[in-house]
Amino acid sequence: MPVRPVRASRFDSSWLLWIAIIAVLLFLVVSPFVYLVITSFQTERTGEFTLANYATAYGRARYVDALVNSLKLGAVSALLASVFAVPLAWAVARTNMPGRGLTRMLVLATFITPPYTGAVAWILLAGPNAGWLNRFYMMATGAEAGPFNIYSFTGLAVVIALYSFPYIFIFTTAALELVSSEMEDAANILGAGPWRTMRKVTLPLALPAILGGMIICFLEAIALFGSPALIAIPARFNVVTTQLFQFFGNPVRVEVAAAYAMPLLGVTILLVLVQRLIVRRKGFVALTGKGGERRPILLGRWRWVVFGYAMFVAALAVFLPYIFLIHSAFAKAWGRGFLLDNITIANFRFILFEHATAAQSVINSFVYGGISATIAVFLTLGVAYIVARRLIPFGGVLGFLCVAPFVIPGVVLAIGFYAAYAPPPLALYGTALIMILAFTTRFLPVGYVNASAAINSLNPEMEEAVRVLGGSRLTALRRVVAPLLKRNMMGAWLLIFIPATRELSAAIFLYGPNTKVASVMIFDMSEEGNFERLAALALVLQVLTLPLLWIGQKALGRDFMLRRNAT
Amino acid sequence: MKRLGSLVLAMAVALAFLPLAARADLNALTEAAKKEGELTWYVAHYTSEGAEDLGRGFTEMYGIKVNVVRTTAQVAYQRLLQDIKNNQTNCDVFSSTDLGHYARLKADGRLDKFVPENMSKISPVFQNFDPDGFFQTTAAGMVVITYNTNKVKAEDAPKKWEDLLDIKWKGKVSTGHPGFSGYVGTWVLSMKKLYGWQYFDKLEKNKPQIGRSINDTVTALNAGERQVAAGSDGSTLFSAARGNPLAVVYPSDGAVLIISPSAIMKGTKHPNAAKLFMEYLYTIEAAKISAKHFLIPLRPEVPSPPGAKPISEIKVIRPTVTEVEKGIPEVIEQWRDTFGN
Amino acid sequence: MSKLVLKNVAKRYGAFEAVADFSLELAKGEFVSLLGPSGCGKTTTLRMIAGFMPPSSGSIEMDGKQISSASGVVPPEHRRMSMIFQSYAIWPNMTVGENVGFGLQIRKLSRAEIDRRVDKILDVVQMRNLKGRYPAELSGGQQQRVALARAIVVEPEVLLLDEPLSNLDANLREEMRFEIRRLHDEFKITTVYVTHDQSEAMVTSDRIVVMNKGKVEQIDAPHVLYGRPKSRFVAGFIGRTNFLEGALQGGEVRFDGFGAAAAALEGATGGGNLLYSLRPQAIGLSSEKPGGPGLAIEAEIVDRSYLGEYWDYQVRPQGGTKPLRVSTAPTVVFEVGSRVWLEIAPSAMVRVE
Repeated sequence: MPVRPVRASRFDSSWLLWIAIIAVLLFLVVSPFVYLVITSFQTERTGEFTLANYATAYGRARYVDALVNSLKLGAVSALLASVFAVPLAWAVARTNMPGRGLTRMLVLATFITPPYTGAVAWILLAGPNAGWLNRFYMMATGAEAGPFNIYSFTGLAVVIALYSFPYIFIFTTAALELVSSEMEDAANILGAGPWRTMRKVTLPLALPAILGGMIICFLEAIALFGSPALIAIPARFNVVTTQLFQFFGNPVRVEVAAAYAMPLLGVTILLVLVQRLIVRRKGFVALTGKGGERRPILLGRWRWVVFGYAMFVAALAVFLPYIFLIHSAFAKAWGRGFLLDNITIANFRFILFEHATAAQSVINSFVYGGISATIAVFLTLGVAYIVARRLIPFGGVLGFLCVAPFVIPGVVLAIGFYAAYAPPPLALYGTALIMILAFTTRFLPVGYVNASAAINSLNPEMEEAVRVLGGSRLTALRRVVAPLLKRNMMGAWLLIFIPATRELSAAIFLYGPNTKVASVMIFDMSEEGNFERLAALALVLQVLTLPLLWIGQKALGRDFMLRRNAT
Repeated sequence: MKRLGSLVLAMAVALAFLPLAARADLNALTEAAKKEGELTWYVAHYTSEGAEDLGRGFTEMYGIKVNVVRTTAQVAYQRLLQDIKNNQTNCDVFSSTDLGHYARLKADGRLDKFVPENMSKISPVFQNFDPDGFFQTTAAGMVVITYNTNKVKAEDAPKKWEDLLDIKWKGKVSTGHPGFSGYVGTWVLSMKKLYGWQYFDKLEKNKPQIGRSINDTVTALNAGERQVAAGSDGSTLFSAARGNPLAVVYPSDGAVLIISPSAIMKGTKHPNAAKLFMEYLYTIEAAKISAKHFLIPLRPEVPSPPGAKPISEIKVIRPTVTEVEKGIPEVIEQWRDTFGN
Repeated sequence: MSKLVLKNVAKRYGAFEAVADFSLELAKGEFVSLLGPSGCGKTTTLRMIAGFMPPSSGSIEMDGKQISSASGVVPPEHRRMSMIFQSYAIWPNMTVGENVGFGLQIRKLSRAEIDRRVDKILDVVQMRNLKGRYPAELSGGQQQRVALARAIVVEPEVLLLDEPLSNLDANLREEMRFEIRRLHDEFKITTVYVTHDQSEAMVTSDRIVVMNKGKVEQIDAPHVLYGRPKSRFVAGFIGRTNFLEGALQGGEVRFDGFGAAAAALEGATGGGNLLYSLRPQAIGLSSEKPGGPGLAIEAEIVDRSYLGEYWDYQVRPQGGTKPLRVSTAPTVVFEVGSRVWLEIAPSAMVRVE
């Protein structure tokens, strides 16, 4: 054995890697944010300090209205989503309702449906005159007009709620699964019936989690671009995100957009803090008790009522939308209905073979999503490792940077990236790189939460054993940590990859003619109202996701996307 | 007309002596363009299908790939402005339906001067649209009244623009959005010129469904979502020809003629391909594809699409370039104030 | 020359002193245990020796070269030591053979040589037949053997063991103690062994360092520690004992219920309280007054417990208040309440601080 020179030094070559990780985080998270803030105070071209952008951004009643609309939309959507989610979560987690596995699967199907795809489906369903629900209603009642109008504030709120309720579902089931039956038994013994117990004991215990999920829904609703663009424009009102898009219009006013984005950012930061406070303070302290088994509550005849409700929600979110999406994708004209001579595969042929960029856009989505997920997984693994092993002083700051993008809505993040990296010197405008970097940043929080949970489950002695035997820290990472975390990393990869392939809010501001992704393509197609082709493209995207989902479920368990750290 | 006629005559004479030289130039251009291999086309003319068809036609002819970026005029322009702001030249050929874009781009020196050899072959009315040769007419269409024939009988259909304000169309009208579509912007400007902004205050009372592209009205009518619309003749007739229950009315107070130019962007990375593409847009092949999509064919050899009235039989109105340049941004703001977004 | 030297090593976290002024020299091939209750600083000391943490002050030397001081630390991978962890830290992604061969691989030995050495060491720990298994398929004891083999096969300069038996059940723990000692006798690796279990330390060690609250209480061979504890803590921590408080009165030291000649007792000088430790098995118990040279004290059985291997009696000297614990062979039986005689040799009473 070669005798190494014995030197007393703290230096370790792995430091280079840590420094690189810090640099990358500064680049991905800090700098776009700083640019966003600076830009909002700058005059276009000269870059002098000014408050004029803020004056412009809030100078018109229409702009301020959009802000108010967003907040209202968030609140209504979150409330509606909880109406969908909480009964389902309770039924699945705590009762003997039939079809609990099926319900979970349908929630998952909802979860992986991009909101804009859902919005398109609901235009087909609830268009005021031609929507299928209205047509069925008119057919059944002989009325002149149907009751539903998707092109309205309520319509938009319902559609957003339908595709964000899984967040509340995930939070609530996680909490309910921790409430032991003994707590409920204690209430029973003191004379409370099952409904009273649910109201007084079970639900209050889960309340922080429900509120936490509602806040996530609220934030999702105000940050969403696709659904409002599809529905609010014909419904003739504006929300923050569509207004931001207008500021990116003619002329391009990044400065004003940056200023206008500030309240959205502020609200988000505030609510995330509130959410953390609620979930941490009341929720989990009360719920960490592992003791006690959990027996399902026997609902008797009521279980069919509850099941009926679950299927009703599933019908709204999954069955009806997909039936009519599939119908449209195979239709010559969707309004003509279910006729044999209305069936064609021309829409698929068009988007896959005849359209110059549609097929490419799907490939782009998968390539960018894949690269982003890979970068994010390794980066967050590195950071989680630094933080867990206290390798550098103030490592916690790095962890904070990784979760910080959670409070930056996609649209705002995109404006930050645009301001920071689109112009020279980096001149990343319109490149694949800027898309990949933005996606990476957007999904860092998902990666980090997973990575740090994984690392914390790993006994540090595993690595110390490598080091006493003469291996460096990097050897330990390579030979022990990485192989042991393979599964977790793959799970995190999928949790990032799947949403990244559908990302629209950031992409819409950052894509170039050669870097169009499928979501943007779908959005472009909606301009002309080509719902048949658009449905075909949306279905292609969904179908391509299925094998990944299958792999994820095989490797990580059926519920891997519906766990707490998935959000 | 007399002047035009003599111009055509002079051209014809000149052409008789020129063809060989011109063909040689074109061959050299083709070779150079093939070396560049591809070009990117920001286009708001046509439907996506039409644009894709035209792009594919070019590829089939020369083996040069066309990245067709079909979107509405204002979105295409927004993209282009961002490109310019970031010193990128993604777009080689820019085809908007808002004339104002060209006036501004030309004034800012963003366009390359190019007069296609083939220009002499197109209908004289479309020739030399920009006397300085920075942009050329490559498509023309009209905004007309369109309706769903299943829901509206021909005799009940609106005959003039003012008819759309009739209360009987409440909840049944559809339009595009001037903030997106150049066709719609030009139409709004023309209506404002004819009837003042009150026209839109009244239209608002009829609760129109506002899409983005003018082609969205086709979908709205086809789906039965709406019954009448201010739509484009081309995309409506194209859809009707495929069996959809659509028809057009050329309003008695004037169909709005949309002259849509194309231009080569300064600093393009594919100058030869861009030039060749401009030449291509003036070929008979391209004119045929245009006609197939019910746009007015630029080449006189190609017959007008069936069912479309020849332009000579229609009362046509159109704003001037200067009116468009200043007017469209104004009406977009007014529209947003009136219609909410 | 000493193999490993710790000079005034201390570790502080703010105001808290985890290890204070720790000095120790290990001879080559020596087996030393660090023994103490949890939180006494023994693991911290071990991790400083391993190089996982720098000392706040003091230094550590190996073969005369400094490897740790407050200003710098040779990282663990360059110390040529090896360590066995509380959790064994067997890598679940590698087979038994790969686990054991890992250190040799890092040392860039040839594949054949690695195979040869791995087989040899697996024979020593009787695990050869499980070479291709993954750790998840092994029992706790087998994992422990893999950990031992993995640590020893690299022929480390120093072997460190951090409570290696604490996760095993009682029978296996006893077996492994002897196994560890056997391996030490075979390979003669300088070893530092951390444990809170006194019998483990006594079975395995040449010397034991008893630690309490970050401080060294006593460093001695096991039998010396037991027989001659220097502090109340050591006497109490190592085995069971009776603490006797006495005071010098004339030539005699008065205890609770009896007295002893000061001259016969160790360290019976000075005023104030004198504290002595007296092991339960050093006290004789008989029904007749003993005739030996030791003290004979009349007493009463207050309570008793039968533990199979011995009787544990609580016996109160006449005139005393507190009972003493006395262990006897299982055959020596007295009923509660019966009168007995205690026999104590003054030399068995050890003066402690």
